[in-house]
Amino acid sequence: MGKKRKHAEAAEAPKKDDSAPPRPKRTLTGWKDGEPEKPSDSSAHTVFRNKEKVLITCSRRINYRYRHLMLNVVSLLPHCKKDSKVESKESKGSTLNELIELRNCSSCLFFECRKQKDLYLWMVKSPSGPSVKFLVNAVHTMDELKLTGNHLKGSRPLLTFSTNFDKEPHWKLVKEMITQIFATPKDHRKSKPFHDHVFVFSILDDHVWFRNYQISVPHNETDKVDRGGLDKMTLVEVGPRFCLNPIKIFGGSFGGPTLYENPFYVSPNQIRALEKRKKAGKYVKKVKAKTRRKIHEMSNALEPDEFADLWKE
Amino acid sequence: MVGIHKKDPSHSEDTMEEHDNLNEINDEESNSDSDSDSESEEVRAEPAKNAIYNRDGLLEKLEDISWPENVEWIHKLTVDHDQAEGVDVNDDLGRELAFYTQALDGTRKAFDKLQGMKIPFLRPPDYYAEMVKTDAHMLKVKGRVLSEKKRIEEAEERKKMREAKKVAKEVQAQKTKERAKRKKEEIESVKKWRKQRQQSGFAKGKDGEMDLGFDGDDGFARSKKRKTGVAPGDRSGGIRRGGKKGQEKNRKKRDYRDSKFGHGGRKGVKKQNTAETTNDLRGFNKGGMSKKRNG
Repeated sequence: MGKKRKHAEAAEAPKKDDSAPPRPKRTLTGWKDGEPEKPSDSSAHTVFRNKEKVLITCSRRINYRYRHLMLNVVSLLPHCKKDSKVESKESKGSTLNELIELRNCSSCLFFECRKQKDLYLWMVKSPSGPSVKFLVNAVHTMDELKLTGNHLKGSRPLLTFSTNFDKEPHWKLVKEMITQIFATPKDHRKSKPFHDHVFVFSILDDHVWFRNYQISVPHNETDKVDRGGLDKMTLVEVGPRFCLNPIKIFGGSFGGPTLYENPFYVSPNQIRALEKRKKAGKYVKKVKAKTRRKIHEMSNALEPDEFADLWKE
Repeated sequence: MVGIHKKDPSHSEDTMEEHDNLNEINDEESNSDSDSDSESEEVRAEPAKNAIYNRDGLLEKLEDISWPENVEWIHKLTVDHDQAEGVDVNDDLGRELAFYTQALDGTRKAFDKLQGMKIPFLRPPDYYAEMVKTDAHMLKVKGRVLSEKKRIEEAEERKKMREAKKVAKEVQAQKTKERAKRKKEEIESVKKWRKQRQQSGFAKGKDGEMDLGFDGDDGFARSKKRKTGVAPGDRSGGIRRGGKKGQEKNRKKRDYRDSKFGHGGRKGVKKQNTAETTNDLRGFNKGGMSKKRNG
């Protein structure tokens, strides 16, 4: 495959004028689709070819729920490469960068699980950054029976963004990264040429929400929906669901200068600590209240009841 | 980065109970759906003052990584959607509806564009390929949907039955009331008729239609319902059938049976075998069917 691709690129420049029309049709590798558009593209500018490859991996000691989420993402992105778990101690260093380089990838999704309960997602563009670290919330995997949709594996998704992605620079950056990572490259060899699902990325409450829907629309032909079919279109949720809370944006890949810091972010550790402290105070409070009550009773003793022995006889 | 703030810390949503407790503590409104807990996790605090926000750096990076300007849309397949204002994060239905409308609207726009390009983009019905979810999983999903449907139907049926029961009760009450009323009316009419008859001095044939039913003793006797197979001489109408004779005959048998099977005393002891009864073989039918048991 790699060879053929190289060949196509090399051939494009010199052969453009003389031998472009009688090119053999080779549909298996997407040759046929790629070829006709190239002359028109290259006449205007250099050909754009999306060669995005995403490395997906996770830290050790990830729990099953988050691992399943990762596997779901793997099944949604045909242009990804899954790697084995990485020791979380090493994730700070350059190990991951090396790994990305080794696997020839241009971006990375790294699922980092801490304390078996907190999931962080690193979204990284490889050689020169940037990288975004998210806290992942509200995880629902595809295995849940509530999500009844299904779609082709490897069909290219439509990406919908809410417009508030364009308001702030950091959201703009996040949007661009999401587009590059989650959009399946056109004519990718593992992708299928139909569009039957749609991703939703929406910012609500300063979190990025992700949803995946199957598109079901009445049609008889492959290049046209039926008349009025667009109105009859329905969506069925396929899953997974998750919600990303951005923590920091770094300049480099897995590190570098901090470009953005979420001012509202409180780490789950702090929350838990606070909760614990609250619970710890409970007993002390109870004891205090008891002593206070005792003191109160001592200081205001009850008057002797004059009717106490009225019914004794 | 931020000081201590109230927060709902449960963010794995399978711990519903914990979540509820915490919500109570935090005086937040408790959310119904399971996945709403995680996003209500933050009680908006004051933003941290010293948070870094390097706009220029961000924009520079964006320029670095972004694709060339004139990339065709088909490479990106992105659609923007104007989100409705004021979507509440904790309102699960509203939130999901917002996402759904975004997806639907985006898909419509995208399909319009794709149609304009005149390239095949819809899956033909005879195109079979691997799906994201396996068939086994989809079977499970189907089973669940069906069972849910069944459950709902059953619940509805039960509800209907309950309603019907209520109605039937009312109808029955109405009926008994009516019957009582009719009875009363009939009695009244009879009384009236008697009075009239008395007034008219027992003149026969004055009101012909009444005179048929109440004429003579014969009519009364016949009106009493008789049981079938009652001897003509039996004046009780078959109620005391069997009579004294029969009872005496059956008495012995009854007594024996009572002594054997119960009616007074513990049965357990009586029914147990003793040494005598085990040796006593009288009860067995030695000579086939012909001999009658004498017990």
